[in-house]
Amino acid sequence: MTSKIINMAERMKDKEDLRLEAMFRSAPVPDDGFTTRVVSRIRRRIWVRRLSLPIAVAVGAAISAGPILEVVKVVPALINPLFGSTFNIERLVAADLPQISTFLFGAGLVAVIFLASKALED
Amino acid sequence: MVAQQDAGAFGELVRRHQSHVRNFLRKLTRDYALADDLAQDAFLHAWDKLHTFTGKGAFIGWLMSVAYTTFLQSKRRSNRYGEILNEIGQEPVRQSMEQSDEISDLDRFLAVLTEEERAIMILSYACGLSHREIGDAAGLPVGTVKSIIFRGKEKIRESFDIEDHQYG
Repeated sequence: MTSKIINMAERMKDKEDLRLEAMFRSAPVPDDGFTTRVVSRIRRRIWVRRLSLPIAVAVGAAISAGPILEVVKVVPALINPLFGSTFNIERLVAADLPQISTFLFGAGLVAVIFLASKALED
Repeated sequence: MVAQQDAGAFGELVRRHQSHVRNFLRKLTRDYALADDLAQDAFLHAWDKLHTFTGKGAFIGWLMSVAYTTFLQSKRRSNRYGEILNEIGQEPVRQSMEQSDEISDLDRFLAVLTEEERAIMILSYACGLSHREIGDAAGLPVGTVKSIIFRGKEKIRESFDIEDHQYG
């Protein structure tokens, strides 16, 4: 009830209010392509955001592939003393090293394709 | 639909409210090109912050608060009202009661107000927002909005009388 009274009081205007309203009144601004320009900017922004993640993943994978392979080469030398000669990690990794680099490249490519297709779907 | 970041649906909101936002910014800046640039930026900010609109209060109040914040943050704010004040101060003898081609009575009235008072007077009398919606837009309690409007009207009344005395 109080809010209704407050709203009614707000709507009661004196001559000064009416004069100020008349003074402030202006014609509606025609759109003139304004909405189209805003929506275009929004769509551009959406695309930039969607593409930036897959590109970042691809660049990151390309940069980190080399160092990851170096780490993979070193790890067996660290692990081998734990397992002794029964399980020679070093020999295993050396044998599989070419396949590991292919595997890493393939995994990165799959991730990029997945993210890009998800972005296109959206 | 808008909550799911649909640009087309947001475009409909832009179409409905662009006149209010642009009118508001045009009256604040008195520079149509700058106002339209700020209005575009304001709608982009609104798009980014759409998830913060909880539905509490009118959308127009929230949108005007984004527009007003965009205006305040803009480093390109026009100094049109400062220029008007300077012109009024520099040409007291030539001033007449008739409306000048370049400076309207409205410009003169708004020039004597602070930026906050100007924004609230425009939201109230030009945009027709309720005190609650103005409070949402300016981030002020309703009581403060009413005080500012009262103060603004007082200043305009006094300036009009003082104008006759000082420059007549």
